[in-house]
Amino acid sequence: MGGKPAATLGEIKNRADLVIFWGANPAECHPRHLTRYSLTPKGLFVPNGRKGRTMVLVDIRRTPSARAADIFLQIRPGKDFEVITALRALVKGRPINPRSLEETGLALEQLQDLAERMKRARFGAIFFGMGLTMTRGKHMNSSAILTLGAELNQFAHFVAMPLRGHGNVTGADAVLTWITSYPFGVDFSRGYPRYNPGEYTAVDLLTRGDVDAVLVLGADPGATMPQPAIDHLGRVPTIVLDPKVSHTSRLARIHITTAPTGISAPGTIYRMDEIPLHLRPALKSPYPTDEQVIGRIRESVEARIFDIRNWTGIEASRQ
Amino acid sequence: MGPETLISDPTAGFQDVLPDSERADFVQLWLKVRPGLPLEAEVLSPDVFAGLSLDEIRALPVLLGKQKCRLDDFFEIYGEKSRRLVLHGNLARVKRIGQGMTSGEIVIRGNSGMHLGAEMKGGSIRVYGDTADWLGAEMTGGLIRVHGNAGGQVGAAYRGSRKGMRGGTILVDGSAGIEAGMRMRRGLISIQGNVGDFAGLQMCGGTLFLGGKAGIRTGAWMSRGTIVAMEQPRLLPTFLYSCTCKPVFLRLLWKQFQDLNVPVPEWAWNGLVRRYTGDTSELGKGEILVCDPESNNAGPVIPGAGCSEAGLK
Repeated sequence: MGGKPAATLGEIKNRADLVIFWGANPAECHPRHLTRYSLTPKGLFVPNGRKGRTMVLVDIRRTPSARAADIFLQIRPGKDFEVITALRALVKGRPINPRSLEETGLALEQLQDLAERMKRARFGAIFFGMGLTMTRGKHMNSSAILTLGAELNQFAHFVAMPLRGHGNVTGADAVLTWITSYPFGVDFSRGYPRYNPGEYTAVDLLTRGDVDAVLVLGADPGATMPQPAIDHLGRVPTIVLDPKVSHTSRLARIHITTAPTGISAPGTIYRMDEIPLHLRPALKSPYPTDEQVIGRIRESVEARIFDIRNWTGIEASRQ
Repeated sequence: MGPETLISDPTAGFQDVLPDSERADFVQLWLKVRPGLPLEAEVLSPDVFAGLSLDEIRALPVLLGKQKCRLDDFFEIYGEKSRRLVLHGNLARVKRIGQGMTSGEIVIRGNSGMHLGAEMKGGSIRVYGDTADWLGAEMTGGLIRVHGNAGGQVGAAYRGSRKGMRGGTILVDGSAGIEAGMRMRRGLISIQGNVGDFAGLQMCGGTLFLGGKAGIRTGAWMSRGTIVAMEQPRLLPTFLYSCTCKPVFLRLLWKQFQDLNVPVPEWAWNGLVRRYTGDTSELGKGEILVCDPESNNAGPVIPGAGCSEAGLK
């Protein structure tokens, strides 16, 4: 358990001389990332910009990002955990079995070279994408790369960071962490937060049918979740808050149209390195913001609770 | 959600369960309403039931979602003041049965939900059905026997915790899911059927027996501990062949299995195993002992040899 070795993108821009992308395709999915933060910009301690940095790309196929990379390592699908674990052993100077390494599609020399480069680096940054986090092994793949990043700090300054997509997913994690100390998969049914991914995470709760109502905010589970989970969304009362009609709104009992966040609704979003940024609305929207809708729902629920308390009080006094 | 199924006659099959002479010693609970949501019932434990009368047992609190209910909203209850519980029905949604129990006995005639026997310290649990995830998680003592299949994270550590099972025994006759024995520290887990990926993940002690096929990444990141596999698992590059040997420990394990009524194949008594050490990305003092028919036809062996230097095959 290595924790999360983190830095801001500004620090990476100013210091990183070794940049590793694992299971990610920044050239196509984060087109401004390489030029603004991690590869080409000149930084305080990287005065030569692109020439001062080495970029390594690890992926299962040659994506357009490979053209930008100095070293491209093509591994067989589903072998990320094996390669990272072997790298962790090599970094520590421990022996590994070259014959079972062959199954990963890489040679021992390639990995040794990468391990040496990592140890020699002044400041290394590992960015990992869905090719790592969403393949077999999932959370353990992420755990492996974060542990590798943490352990490399014995030799060089190293950070490991998920290269995340979609608007404000980092914000949801950050806010939930500072409120409950857990980033996701939090259960409040006992009045205090409990954390157990696999038990309290949305997709597992829906797949097992363990919930009797769903509120969807800024997400489209009807398009991304497995079929049994989607089926359950249709079985229970589902409320969707979304600026547009999504797959989930077609299954839902209620769809509330809201103003698109960041375009017509102001607020704070979190960048992928958990830097909060304030957004001013560019356009006006006739619709309420997500925050206003949730606030109004909360107010009326609180009023209802007050009613029920009064009502039960009257009942009790009659008896 | 309302009641899904009602068992019309709660005493049906009652006579088969126990002889008359013993019936008084048990508290019998029949699931009469199948909960539509997960039911958290950590009160279903011999420690709680020991001194309670029938009325007190009926009034015990359980949580349906966030709603506080009484135990007799869901169960038909017979008997009182006993450290022996018999539960009947499909309890797949009933979580935390026997959590933290220190003594006594629970028999479940049906399936069980998550966290069965989690953090238990003593006593025994027997399940004639399947169980869900986190069976015996972080337990420190006692015996759990599951005659069906188990879910993921058998005897594992909870997320963020450094140590899983710290003692006791878990025996599963069927299969188990992912991360069986994750971070276990001491004790014995036996899975007769197949296991999912990451069996023995980050083990730092104890014994994990795999009777069937294992998924990928068996023994990943283990620092200490022993995995005994009856079929050759696919190993990580960080596991090295050490030797073929005949450890005395294995015969003791088979003897313990005999006492616990766990079948041991005839050829395994020969006790020859291929020993792999790892995980070299961690401490590297863990071992995977592969005890298949092939290893028992292996060539010359140093009898009783412990294994010192890890070499490449």
